[in-house]
Amino acid sequence: MYSQKVLQHFRNPHNFGSMKDPTSVGQVGNLACGDVMKLYLKIEANSKGEDFIKDIKFETLGCAAAIATSSVVTELAIGKTLKEAMEIENKDVIKALDDLPAVKIHCSLLAVDALIEAIYSYFKNTNQTISADFEQKHNRIITCQSRLKH
Amino acid sequence: MYISTKSRYGLRALSNLISQDCCSVKKIAQKEHISSDYLEKIFASLKKAGILKVVRGANGGYILNRQPKEITLKEVVEALEKPEFSCPSFCSCHSKSIWQKIQTGFNQVLQSLTLNDLTNQEEKSVYLDYAASTPLDPQVLKEMLPYFEFDYSGNTMSLHSFGSKSSQAVEVSRQTFANILNCKNSEIIFTGSATESNNMVLKGIAWTNQKKGKHIIISSIEHDCVMESAKWLEKHGFEITRLSVDKYALVNLEELKKAIRPDTILVSVIHGNNEVGTIQDIEAIGKICKNRDVYFHTDASQSFGKVPIDVQKMNIDLLTASSHKIYGPKGVACLYIKNGTKIEPLLHGGGHEFGLRSSTVNTPLIVGFAKAASLCQQEMVKETKRLTQLRDYLIKNILTSIPDSFLNGHPDKRLANNINISFARVEGESLLLELDFYHIAASTGSACSSNSLEPSHVLLATGLKPEQSHGSLRFSLGRFTTKPEVDYLLKVLPQVINKFRQISPFKA
Repeated sequence: MYSQKVLQHFRNPHNFGSMKDPTSVGQVGNLACGDVMKLYLKIEANSKGEDFIKDIKFETLGCAAAIATSSVVTELAIGKTLKEAMEIENKDVIKALDDLPAVKIHCSLLAVDALIEAIYSYFKNTNQTISADFEQKHNRIITCQSRLKH
Repeated sequence: MYISTKSRYGLRALSNLISQDCCSVKKIAQKEHISSDYLEKIFASLKKAGILKVVRGANGGYILNRQPKEITLKEVVEALEKPEFSCPSFCSCHSKSIWQKIQTGFNQVLQSLTLNDLTNQEEKSVYLDYAASTPLDPQVLKEMLPYFEFDYSGNTMSLHSFGSKSSQAVEVSRQTFANILNCKNSEIIFTGSATESNNMVLKGIAWTNQKKGKHIIISSIEHDCVMESAKWLEKHGFEITRLSVDKYALVNLEELKKAIRPDTILVSVIHGNNEVGTIQDIEAIGKICKNRDVYFHTDASQSFGKVPIDVQKMNIDLLTASSHKIYGPKGVACLYIKNGTKIEPLLHGGGHEFGLRSSTVNTPLIVGFAKAASLCQQEMVKETKRLTQLRDYLIKNILTSIPDSFLNGHPDKRLANNINISFARVEGESLLLELDFYHIAASTGSACSSNSLEPSHVLLATGLKPEQSHGSLRFSLGRFTTKPEVDYLLKVLPQVINKFRQISPFKA
């Protein structure tokens, strides 16, 4: 049911493990649902002075699709400026994995949400202005989380 | 050169080192029933020849010095045996050339074999999902084959000799089930699946007895086909009580007694649970139902053929048994219906199976099912003992070798072939997939592996939190399961669990 790409990332996930002194961390998902993703970011300024993702690590509890999407999100995001990373959508993740089974699409959303949350928390901690659009994305994620928690 | 017991024992001992990192002489000696001193001498010779090397330390012992495929049998034999081979060099007897040829050929053969040839090079494939479905026993297939041929192609309802040949075969099969269950022939009908049998019981009893009442009692750990049939009846005005279970998945008999009302028409409780393997006290449940004059049905899909069942002694009115769980063909099951039970068929038509299940009778499948059932009956005592030992060995070793793992279900009121264990901080679907890479087939109660994305209702009913049921694995053993297969699982499983615990954000 899974594509070869999914199986490859599942068997040999890239960038997994925790990170020492991360700049920012995003965690989404819920134990009861069986999927929890934690994303660590190391953010630095590049030569043009823009914030970019110098290093990224993930830890995931979940099914094969959850692990594979986590791995792919780190691949897509590493080296990108935060501005570019914020553009990553779940359809990019699905494409990079040569498609996902319909019942597993929500896993790709979770991976992208973890990235959004990590970036959001960085913006908050560094007192940066957050666009209305990005604030809305964050709100959607936390409402979804609290709905799942009860 | 010749090969003595020394080489024989040497090779047997070496075979233990092929798949292992390191092993002590004592351990191998014990396993192969060789004296430790003798084996120590053999290993010293092999070490001298550069085949083995010593590992020091607490877990020390011997290890292969090179890859198994690089070590030829010639080296091993030469290290262990005296070099002479019949004719010494000064000999000039008539047969000398013959011996030389034998010596050359012998050396070539030994040179061509390596330690790799000691192991079975075929990829191991370990099927531990017998509760999902079993392979067809070759004896069953053999029994079925003639019934696919022209002679038996008649419809059992036809009056001609073709028809009566088929119907005779079906009646002999029916007798087999009547004997096993201790009931009359006329109380057994054949259906297409256990799902069909269970649907017929719930819907058929509900339909016929609704004047008496519209209340049905089931347990909360029934198979989906009972759960869903009950839900459907609920939508059509019936009231369903779902009995809770304790942490071992056992139904509380007092709760059952209290749940039975004057309008209760049926109690249905699964015999051996398909997920956690718990075996209910069916006899006691049957007695309660009998005293209260309520029909009692049990889904014995997992227990039939594995646990003795006597429908009279156990006060059972209706019982479901399935063929593909007992090494019979898929697509056939049976239903015991006690004479006098008021039940409406699901399928109306030509009046087959005493008018209770219309459909042309599938002679070969029924013959196969009956053969499978009698094989199970013959082997039951021996097989139960063998599987129980393997089961308990597997449970004990998993629980001791993997931290934060715990058994689901009852420790001994349990199907001999069922093992269900939860592992903290991991998720079942990823475990299943990883095990599949090692050619091990198992099953999980995780939501992620089900299309509904809901965790197993059975595990939740036993009080497990959703996350505990996501991390559950079921291994079910069967007729073709061997100890080496179980050992292979025990070797692979800890590293699989460990891999995903390392990826998990939750740590011990």
